[in-house]
Amino acid sequence: MKSRLVVLILGELNRLNKYNVFSISILVAFIWGTILFFLDEALLGSLLPFVLLIDATLMGVIYIGAVTHFEKTESTISTLLVTPIKNSELVLSKVIANILHNLFSATLIILVFIFLKDVDINLLLIYLALISSTAFFTIGGLCLSYYQKDFTTMLVNIMVISFVLLIPSALYLFGVLTSPAWDYILLINPIQAAQEIIMGAFSGYEYTYKYFVSLAYMIVGSILLYQFFALPKFQDYAVKQSGV
Amino acid sequence: MFSVKDLYYRYPKQDKDVINGISFDIKEGEIFGFLGPSGAGKSTTQKIMIKILEDFRGTISYNGKSITEFNDDFYEDIGVSFEMPIHFSKMTALENVQFFMKLYKRNADIETLMKRVGLWEDKDKMVGEFSKGMKIRLNIVRALLNEPTMLFLDEPTNGLDPTNAKILKDMIHEFKQQGGTVFITSHIMADIDQLCDRVAFIVHGEIKEIDSPRNLKIKYGKRSMTLEYKENNHTVTKEYPLDGIGQNKEFLELLQTKDIETLHTGETTLEDIFIKVTGVKLHDEK
Ligand SMILES: Nc1ncnc2c1ncn2[C@@H]1O[C@H](COP(=O)(O)OP(=O)(O)O)[C@@H](O)[C@H]1O
Ligand SMILES: [Mg+2]
Repeated sequence: MKSRLVVLILGELNRLNKYNVFSISILVAFIWGTILFFLDEALLGSLLPFVLLIDATLMGVIYIGAVTHFEKTESTISTLLVTPIKNSELVLSKVIANILHNLFSATLIILVFIFLKDVDINLLLIYLALISSTAFFTIGGLCLSYYQKDFTTMLVNIMVISFVLLIPSALYLFGVLTSPAWDYILLINPIQAAQEIIMGAFSGYEYTYKYFVSLAYMIVGSILLYQFFALPKFQDYAVKQSGV
Repeated sequence: MFSVKDLYYRYPKQDKDVINGISFDIKEGEIFGFLGPSGAGKSTTQKIMIKILEDFRGTISYNGKSITEFNDDFYEDIGVSFEMPIHFSKMTALENVQFFMKLYKRNADIETLMKRVGLWEDKDKMVGEFSKGMKIRLNIVRALLNEPTMLFLDEPTNGLDPTNAKILKDMIHEFKQQGGTVFITSHIMADIDQLCDRVAFIVHGEIKEIDSPRNLKIKYGKRSMTLEYKENNHTVTKEYPLDGIGQNKEFLELLQTKDIETLHTGETTLEDIFIKVTGVKLHDEK
């Protein structure tokens, strides 16, 4: 007998496929390929980390938001609540399926880059970075979706949150904030932390404590978010959205 | 099998209980009907019994053990259908069924089940293209997937045409025949009148009466005999008390001398009794 968790993950992936989410990923990789083709060599070095960062953070949140949105419109969670599945299996299957899908799209993008232009990337480190940051943003996105009325509101909120998070980073970048302490304080911004560990997979990156702090942040943060938020709040959320 | 005692429930952030101290037992092997108008608390009660709504007051036990002590294995034993048929609309009927089957230890034979409800031919169709009746039938298939010992059915006949409703009622009956226990809710009396061994009348979260439909009819029904006969090209209707009808001279004389058109006992419907007992009409005004 296949474990229930595997069944659930396959079910999630199957549904992502039915909702054409995989096709969208392939399309996105194709678009990057086209852009790359016309792009200046000089920009290439910073483009791939940036694309992967968007994929692991913003897309991670948006995809899980879309999935829960579809689920809400179909009220299918209530039927899962009355099967022997544990809530932890339900939450984990969503998170894992989303990570797998994101890795799929990230891999496509990486392949496009490797295929079209020469990039120097440590595959082990990039997957470590992608898995840990996608986990963090997927679980965070799930928590966020517990409180969203609809997908559009969620998108707007994500934009607002990302924008607010980007302000201090931008100020730092433009030299308004100068103290070296900001280097670390800014890591509180999970997008910044994700960027740090993604950069770590590319040649020329200088390893400091920042890398390890960021990596620990993503991993420990994922676990804490899951244990103290995503899992305990799940039942309430599921019941609320199944309420006819 | 299931025992509910002094159950109260209030939805989160509400200021009023919607279940106000109800108690009832469901015996093993019976079909227990929960009847009441819309908003009475039928679905809420079902959701509490199947451990979806958690913060209730009172005690509910299943086979002598409080339901709060059961873990998710509880669901290996029960089958549930909700008020709204719910499926993955972008998956075929068979894909839906197969997905849910893999979540249980025990599995029924789905081909037999789907043939029984007449969905086998449509098994490869997307559920999104199903009619409401087909979705409801698929709902029943899903409730029976794990060969449950007890079924919870929330308004299962709602929205079904007579043919489909008949199939469904026959299936519920067969389920009982094989030893299963059923909790079924409805706001349409006639639908489950013949099906239920016992019914509870629920209004505003309170149970007003629990008994078998037969006993309720004896207790509250009018015991009378009505006959219609022709006289001078008119139809005359007369009603006599059923008790001592054999000695009722007037009645007997009419029988012997008149051209009788109809003759029947005054069967009161369960619906009439419901109104009589609760003072509330069953059908919602919506
Ligand atoms: N999720 C909810 N939050 C607050 N009140 C609710 C909720 N669901 C149902 N109710 C209220 O509880 C009462 C009983 O509802 P319900 O159990 O659905 O009745 P029935 O199934 O008999 O039609 C109604 O007054 C309804 O408005
Ligand atoms: Mg209801």
